[in-house]
Amino acid sequence: MSEAEYKRPEPYQHPEYPEEDTIPFFPNYIILEVITSYIVLALLVVLASLLPTGLEEQADPFSTPAHIKPEWYFLWIYQFIKVPPLLIGPGLLAELAGILIPAIGIVLLIILPFLDRKPQRHPRNRKLAMVITGLILAGFVALSIWGWYS
Amino acid sequence: METTSRPNWWTRVGDWFDERLNVRGPLEVFLRKPVPKHAIRWYFCLGGITFSLFLIQGVTGILLSLYYKPTPEQAYDSILFIMNNVRFGWLIRSIHSWSASLMIATCVAHMLRVYITGSYKKPRELNWVAGVFLLLLTLAFGFTGYLLPWDQKALWGSTVGSEILGVVPLIGEYLLGLLRGAAEISALTLTRFYGIHMLALPVLAFIFLAIHFVIIRRQGISGPL
Repeated sequence: MSEAEYKRPEPYQHPEYPEEDTIPFFPNYIILEVITSYIVLALLVVLASLLPTGLEEQADPFSTPAHIKPEWYFLWIYQFIKVPPLLIGPGLLAELAGILIPAIGIVLLIILPFLDRKPQRHPRNRKLAMVITGLILAGFVALSIWGWYS
Repeated sequence: METTSRPNWWTRVGDWFDERLNVRGPLEVFLRKPVPKHAIRWYFCLGGITFSLFLIQGVTGILLSLYYKPTPEQAYDSILFIMNNVRFGWLIRSIHSWSASLMIATCVAHMLRVYITGSYKKPRELNWVAGVFLLLLTLAFGFTGYLLPWDQKALWGSTVGSEILGVVPLIGEYLLGLLRGAAEISALTLTRFYGIHMLALPVLAFIFLAIHFVIIRRQGISGPL
């Protein structure tokens, strides 16, 4: 055991919080993760029991239903692709705008940390970023509601 | 130092493994990793909750796969069988579908927390990128899973959803064919979505989760605001 004995490293202080008190990941921190996960799991079982997932008629390629709506998390794009034709009239350009704008949005989301290189982290010091994000989020919600009722 | 009393049974079990694997030291470092107290907030648990829901999806998905048959002739009937004949089948299916929705919601909430606390900034850019890929994978899980029950909603929702790809300039037709496996949503599409949903996406999700977790371990959680 002597040679292979594991040397415990010096107590580590993270450079971003050298002064701050810490708690061990296990079991002190992980218990909070477990508790919050169980609260959501309880909600999940209640939802699944009270509102069980249904099943429509068997798929029929020769009978198109009147109202085709995607899941709630795709409603925004479902509605978004209908907006450019309303603004600039139907056509190839409108179709392209409908797909290229969300695609560019996803690319921007991926490279966000490389675009936003200012070190300020507190939302108070990032007012413009917060306002823009709030507007984008409101846009998502508005498109989803519009898509839901359209 | 001589001791006469015998150590606890769990200490002896630990000793047995440690004698062979010499793993106690690294394991303790792993488990005792210090977490700063500013992270003891419910909204720092949103990522962990998303991961819990992912595990639920794994378990309920495997259970559903024991009865599900991915062909246009049998898919719908196998879902009916799960709902009507399999004990708690309706509940397992409902949990799988509700958990998919909740997972998207908690994933987005986790991203918003990371965005608002500015935690994606240097040096944590790479973990943000891995996280966005995990969100896209979650959406792809939702999209491919939607077709599997093979009811009207599934067929026509997937038809309209996949049509969007056809608009992509130059390669749109090709992408649409690649996704559907045929001109229309058919048996080929169903097995394709099934394979993607059950094999390709889980493998990719595990890879990106591993990257996500290794990076957060390596860098530690972001500092206080």
